[in-house]
Amino acid sequence: METAWLQASEWLERAGALADEGWQIRDLAGVDTSGLKGFETRFEVVVQLLHTERKERTTLHVMTEGDPPTIPSVVGIWPTTNFMEREAYDMFGIVFDGHPNLTRILMPDEWEGHPLRKDYGVGKVQVEFKPQPFLQIETPGQSPSPQEALRRVDRLGQVVPATDKEPGQA
Amino acid sequence: MSKTQAVIEAVEAKGHGAFVESYDELEERMVINMGPVHPATHGVLRLLLELDAETVVDCQPIIGYLHTGMEKECEDQNWRGAVTIVTRMDYLAPFFNEQAYSLAVEALLGIEVPERGKYIRMLMAELNRLSSHVVWFGTQGLDMGAMSAMFYGFRERELILDFFEMVSGLRMNHNYIIPGGVWEDLPDGWERAIEDILDVLPPRVREYEELLSLNPIFLERTNGVGAISREEALALGATGPIGRAAGIDWDLRRDIPYDGYSQLEFDVPVETAGDVYARYRVRMVEMHQSLRLIRQIVDGMPSGDFKNMDAKLTPPPRAELNRSMEAVIHHFKLVTQGYTVPPGETYAAVESPRGELGVYAISDGGTSPYRIHVRDPSFVNLQSLPTMVKGQLVADLIASIASIDPILGGVDR
Repeated sequence: METAWLQASEWLERAGALADEGWQIRDLAGVDTSGLKGFETRFEVVVQLLHTERKERTTLHVMTEGDPPTIPSVVGIWPTTNFMEREAYDMFGIVFDGHPNLTRILMPDEWEGHPLRKDYGVGKVQVEFKPQPFLQIETPGQSPSPQEALRRVDRLGQVVPATDKEPGQA
Repeated sequence: MSKTQAVIEAVEAKGHGAFVESYDELEERMVINMGPVHPATHGVLRLLLELDAETVVDCQPIIGYLHTGMEKECEDQNWRGAVTIVTRMDYLAPFFNEQAYSLAVEALLGIEVPERGKYIRMLMAELNRLSSHVVWFGTQGLDMGAMSAMFYGFRERELILDFFEMVSGLRMNHNYIIPGGVWEDLPDGWERAIEDILDVLPPRVREYEELLSLNPIFLERTNGVGAISREEALALGATGPIGRAAGIDWDLRRDIPYDGYSQLEFDVPVETAGDVYARYRVRMVEMHQSLRLIRQIVDGMPSGDFKNMDAKLTPPPRAELNRSMEAVIHHFKLVTQGYTVPPGETYAAVESPRGELGVYAISDGGTSPYRIHVRDPSFVNLQSLPTMVKGQLVADLIASIASIDPILGGVDR
């Protein structure tokens, strides 16, 4: 199994040449290299190629450019990468230039951040969905919202003056 | 921006809950949601359909409803512990997830699996292929209106799951195949249990074929339905039974053998029609071939170690802990932090019941994976659904989904 590194600008041309040679794409994954040694670019796209006649596999690393990290899309060459590129965009925020429908695929559309980045820690981010319109039930004159109630009563049940701070903040 | 795209945006702005999204009076086209909760979508798959009366004009699969961030969770486990995460991905074929992951970690470690370990893995994998295909048989039949297929399929699955329980202690999510081999040896009496399965299953699989293969209603509903050509299947990356039904003669077990498959004899079924019936034929033959493989594996089961006994990888036997200080140290290190894996990257793939299941793993030299990416066959195969169903009836769409056999746990991970 061979491995090669490519610049984003070379990728489209190289992909076309590989497809003409009969290479099929089997996997496309984003990688955040910030925790690894010896990498210049933070985000890479790793592509697994398979040649069914030669029964060979090869791995290509394509380095992204710019901010947000950008790389040309190869959906026109290998249509199967459509979902895979959307997944890499969703999980790492890698932008695939020329993708027909680059939207989030696994996370909700309104999600902020890209979960598989190394600075996006498990359990460090509050999991809270934005309220959907049909869930907002407004009944005036009823008890205060949970946040307001928390501001007024502390853990021991004693009433404290309302502040602007969120519950849990020091 | 296509019309469906515009409708999606309108739906997202409005919130979920409505089935009928829009109705175009001039063209008489209707856009409706199928799923995410629908008995025929095999899980929480949502399809945005643009319909002209009963004909599907456009179909867009929308996924992510079962996303639980398993790839991220793997990064918080040690290398041994991540098996418990990956096994939950494709929940109808858990042994294949474990096998692909273990092959990747073994390649990074550069270790060998003893022959018996390889054979036990193949035995469990082939039984798992059967148990997964009988569920497909049941759901495919059920979606076509053949209710009894479901009963038969789940009856046979139970036999196999009983064997899994006997070996690994669990019916699903076994956590049994580990980097280096398998966790425990086969229990006493496994030969008899497997002979029972091998006595019962072959006639029953033949019975399935009698039930459906020449059934006029089933033929009418599947022949020429949901067809994709060989070129389309190649372009869309369809693997497994979908690719083979469209004429792609490719099976990783035969073409890039892993574990001990190079020592076994089996045939790879290939059809050319590419429709639902061709996929049915392929899976039926695969079930017979799996039984043939299990026979060979049981007859050729070697003796010896079932996992790599390197003390740095495998906890020592309990009795050793009383005698040897070294064993205590190894045990302590393995339990508290796990083993380290040399830096590097690898991609390992197995032929799961749904196609190529690959695991791409990166190690930074630590005790937990730096990155695990799973190429799930359902995720990739699902992309061929729009091509299959465009211009067909809604009822044929149901048949096509069943023939892709997507497992949403694997699609969303």
